[in-house]
Amino acid sequence: MHALSLRRFAAIALTLGLSLPAAAHGPTRQKVVEEVSVNAPAAKVWALIGNFDALAQWHPAVEASPADKGNEVGAVREVKLKGGGSLTETLQGHDDAGMTYKYRAKDGGALPVTNYTSSIAVRDEGGHAVVVWRGAFYRGYPNNDPPPELNDEAAIAAITNVYKTGLAQIKTLAERP
Amino acid sequence: MRHGPPLLGGLVGAWVLASVPADAAPYAYITNQGSHDVSVIDLATQAVVATVGVGRSPAGVVASSAAGKAFVSNPDSRDVSVIDMRTQTVVGTLPAGSGPVGIDAAPDGRRLFVADWFRNRLLVIDPAQPGAPAVEIPVGRAPAGVAASADGHSVYVAERDDDSVAVVDLAHARVRGRVSVGTHPFAVLEDAPRSRLYVLNVLSDDLTVVDTQTLQVLATVGVGHAPYGAALADGGRLIYVTNQHDDSVSVIDADTLALRQTLHGFGYPEGVAAHADRVYVVNWMDDAVSVLDAASGREIRRIDTGRNSRGFGAFIGAPAAH
Repeated sequence: MHALSLRRFAAIALTLGLSLPAAAHGPTRQKVVEEVSVNAPAAKVWALIGNFDALAQWHPAVEASPADKGNEVGAVREVKLKGGGSLTETLQGHDDAGMTYKYRAKDGGALPVTNYTSSIAVRDEGGHAVVVWRGAFYRGYPNNDPPPELNDEAAIAAITNVYKTGLAQIKTLAERP
Repeated sequence: MRHGPPLLGGLVGAWVLASVPADAAPYAYITNQGSHDVSVIDLATQAVVATVGVGRSPAGVVASSAAGKAFVSNPDSRDVSVIDMRTQTVVGTLPAGSGPVGIDAAPDGRRLFVADWFRNRLLVIDPAQPGAPAVEIPVGRAPAGVAASADGHSVYVAERDDDSVAVVDLAHARVRGRVSVGTHPFAVLEDAPRSRLYVLNVLSDDLTVVDTQTLQVLATVGVGHAPYGAALADGGRLIYVTNQHDDSVSVIDADTLALRQTLHGFGYPEGVAAHADRVYVVNWMDDAVSVLDAASGREIRRIDTGRNSRGFGAFIGAPAAH
């Protein structure tokens, strides 16, 4: 997600009156869990998204996503976003049989988060696939009284948007005849 | 996170009698940081019997059977909520510094020990004197987990950003010793019958075993990624450790300190506590508690909680019988 859309999401969050109390302490860990049901076999969906460096092939916001060591634990993925901005993510675990991988980013890069960990998983439900993408993170501003574009709501809105747009595209691609 | 002193009945007796009177129904008090409340689970029926609104972003908890109350630290409202175990209602709110996190109670339930994250203090609070200022004892940086010793003389405080544990002498209100441990210690657990302290190091992915008599490090045991909570279970024979970033739980033989097994299928597990033959693991990501058979590690059921559940502390207790 580029900077403009982040600001837009932060503004929406503020409009909805979701701001933190002024006397908040340091950040509290936040999470986002999104899932999508796909009318395709789980193995087909995993073949589409299972490689750590495949992100650019299915996420509409991602221009390129090369990983230096493929699916080996410790591989570093350099995510370049369309319209500018980047993220650096490190693979923490990859399980082909279990159809899941997990990764971590200490610094959120283009996303207004820190200490970000995430996993994406595909499971079979009666012949159809369910993709679950989940993340845990702290807001971008580490101290009290964050600016609105770096508060908890901005962090949640940004990650939610990344997951929703990515999952929607997985569904579109995998359900194509 | 305290377990009782050795009793005449030996090790197993000590743990069985540690926290809960025999004829009272025990409860688990699960702090839900995202919904600002506490899920109260009746362990007899394995069901949530109350959801109690507390302060902002509750994290730490100690269920003190001696006090008949559960005490919950609220870092965002900077206070401690007091829940009566008989009525499951909030009966008091105690000011608690600038960011209370870890919390434990004295064995007699008459004093609370609270880590004040931002001001690097251990606060000693008398819950019967809500207006009185807390005793403040300077400790190291980013104090997190707190464990009161079973003998009532000491409190152990994890100093996360100093990679150490402070041993606080309560009689003199000062740090009397300090032990270097792994990287970013967060939770601490006393094993009184073995004269040990277990320290969970979030960034070095291990557990430091400290001799509480000599304050020497006895062993360092590797676990999974980001260990966040520990409990003694199965009559004190096993140590259960939650590995937050691995969605797993390590089960360690407490006598030999050998890894017995690694359990999978959790969701960012954090708090863990044991009672009788069961272990309760709090899944922050899944908003649920996993109930395990202590001896085998097998999952028996899941119980839904509020949002972003943590249960950081000794969250099981029971009101004393009349």
